[in-house]
Amino acid sequence: MTIVQKRTPVRAAVKPPGSTPTMTGSSPRRARLPRTRRNLWPYALIAPAVVGTAFLLVYPLVRAFVISLQDYKLAELINGNAEFVGLENYRTLFSDGRFWEVVARTFLFMACNVVLIMILSTLVAMMITRLKKFGRTMVLSSLVLAWAMPVIAAATVFQWMFNSEFGVVNWMLTSFGFEQFDRFPWFAHGAAAFVILILLVVWQSVPFAAITLYSALTTVPVELHESARLDGAGAWRLFRSVTFPIIRPIFMLVVCLEVIWTFKAFVQIWVITQGGPGDATTLLPVYAVQRALSSQQYDLGAAASIVTVLILSGVLVLYFRQMFRQEVQQ
Amino acid sequence: MRTRLIAGASALALAATLSACSSGNAEAGGTTTIDVWLMRDSVSEEFQAEFEKSFEAEHPDIDAKIQIQEWDGIGEKVVAALASNDPPDVIEIGNSQMSQYAASGGLLDVSDKVDDLGGEDWIAGLADPAVWDGKTYGVPYYAANRVVIYNTALFDAAGIDAESIDTRAKWIDATSTLNSGDVQGIYLPGQSWHALAGFIWDEGGAFATQDDGSWMGALDTPEAMAGMEFYSQLQALGHGPKDSDVASPPQTDIMAGGDVAQIISSPGAAGSVVAANPELEGKLGFFPIPGKTADKPGAVYVGGSELAIPAASDSSDAAYEFVKALTGEKWQRELASTMGYVPNKASLADAVADDPGAAAMTVGGTENGHSTPIAPGWAAVEAQNIIHDYMTAVLTGGDLAGEAQKASDEITRAMNQSD
Repeated sequence: MTIVQKRTPVRAAVKPPGSTPTMTGSSPRRARLPRTRRNLWPYALIAPAVVGTAFLLVYPLVRAFVISLQDYKLAELINGNAEFVGLENYRTLFSDGRFWEVVARTFLFMACNVVLIMILSTLVAMMITRLKKFGRTMVLSSLVLAWAMPVIAAATVFQWMFNSEFGVVNWMLTSFGFEQFDRFPWFAHGAAAFVILILLVVWQSVPFAAITLYSALTTVPVELHESARLDGAGAWRLFRSVTFPIIRPIFMLVVCLEVIWTFKAFVQIWVITQGGPGDATTLLPVYAVQRALSSQQYDLGAAASIVTVLILSGVLVLYFRQMFRQEVQQ
Repeated sequence: MRTRLIAGASALALAATLSACSSGNAEAGGTTTIDVWLMRDSVSEEFQAEFEKSFEAEHPDIDAKIQIQEWDGIGEKVVAALASNDPPDVIEIGNSQMSQYAASGGLLDVSDKVDDLGGEDWIAGLADPAVWDGKTYGVPYYAANRVVIYNTALFDAAGIDAESIDTRAKWIDATSTLNSGDVQGIYLPGQSWHALAGFIWDEGGAFATQDDGSWMGALDTPEAMAGMEFYSQLQALGHGPKDSDVASPPQTDIMAGGDVAQIISSPGAAGSVVAANPELEGKLGFFPIPGKTADKPGAVYVGGSELAIPAASDSSDAAYEFVKALTGEKWQRELASTMGYVPNKASLADAVADDPGAAAMTVGGTENGHSTPIAPGWAAVEAQNIIHDYMTAVLTGGDLAGEAQKASDEITRAMNQSD
């Protein structure tokens, strides 16, 4: 659910696939095993993961899909006997103007976040390559610390920083002479709340992207830079024609992941604004939870979730294409 | 005694053999175990121990297991419990959340027991939300409502006699006088919507009204807007943040600072103030929220709880005995005097006469108590913070009529969504 927690497995994907030991490799030790046992071992080893995934991901997904095709409210949840209504819930959803506003807002939120995250993290990554050992250690440690901060803790800190009466932001702005920020209620203004949430998500996401891009940058051969510079390339030209093409596969992977993660941002929003004021920060996941848990419309909440899954699956296809292309290149 | 011992032993043996099955409804040798969910602060530990002992002495065949639940996230917990095959046998449910459960079919219909429980005397704010489609699904347990808690030292210093504040006009005057220098006349955060509710009812308005079975938001009526105007006037006599509610930061902590002359809260909050600043011990007083005229106290939202029995409970008779005991006169008097709550019947109001906080509360609660719209859709209005957002928008300079119109539309949408 949280952005940070899901990040760990990705490191493996970023690693060059060639370095991963494969089960099918022919080592002399493995060749000695009886044939059937050798074939079963991989399946036995992977079984717990498959069972876990099926139980925690596939089953809820299928269940949500079934609920999205039923008339499923509080009474049905308690008493059972939900009736199938075909695509009625999707029809209700798609004819709701509010739903489309939420979808558009979700895309806007995702786009703002991804653009900011990619620009900032690329700059940070390039900065790290120029730093000496001490500076590099400091920056990398700060990034890891920010990354390690629990999502809810960070969200709560942001909430307090922007508190109208007791917040440090208003105190700072007021003491710099911006009197109009005396007790300014940030979360009462839709646009301000939206921007603060973007700041928070960007702040939480930059470390992962920056560290990943930094590790990609270390693979750029120094000689290429030197020879390009000898040919008279400026900094921008150097980046565009030498650096970027080399880190492009990793860059695109990070973009895909950030799209997925920011599109389904939920915890930060739920902690800070719960989608308010009004609908100003209601994104698709928040909308689904509001429908299901506060309006007891589990059917419409499930339908909204399925729509989210479909949209993200599209991005996932791009991600896989990128990943396979990268493997081919290597 | 001997039979009870044997019963207990066999129940134990059964529990041991069936320990993998966590069902609390083991019936063995005539002993029925019932699981009861009570909410945090609904009973103190001593009260719980005393009640359990007495109840089990009177009903040797019932073993009541009381679990205290937290309010935070309780809605989802109750929904999950009602949807399960093995729910607790008695659940305490907040009265503003009662309606959706009554309508859901997950609770036992206790209509035929109302007379047995003396239901004609129940206070309306508790009894009404438990009724759905003419049938009763919950038994009023206790109520609590808001009063003004004031700092007697600050009142004395300003030369104000709290006893004399019996109208809104006098209240505003006194609060303006108190609100000078470092002292805040009143700490009223912008989103204390339960307080706003009272001001709106005083004017004859409402959050929502029912028309032909569907609910319409009513914040845009002249009466409801007048209530909001009074709220703005009062809120300005202190530094309550315009964009937060009473819980963040806890208003009791702010009052504990010693510079706040008044807060609006249930009397129990005085304990939290003193816990945060022991110097205020004995320096906190209470008076009912003043009404527009001296002959009637201000309208208040009657918060409180009901006890309900899930339809899927397999020990509903034993559960009913438990509910009957806890909501009966003896334990209601005990609960009112030890916990400082308003008892579930108007005739028991004298039980709290000695406690100044509870006495101030009983005046408002019994003479001018109201409840939020009794409809399954109301829970969605609360969950989506519609009134919170409206109040902050108005207090931070938004156009009253325009914001009221917008919020009313949102209430209409939210309340009719879950049909």
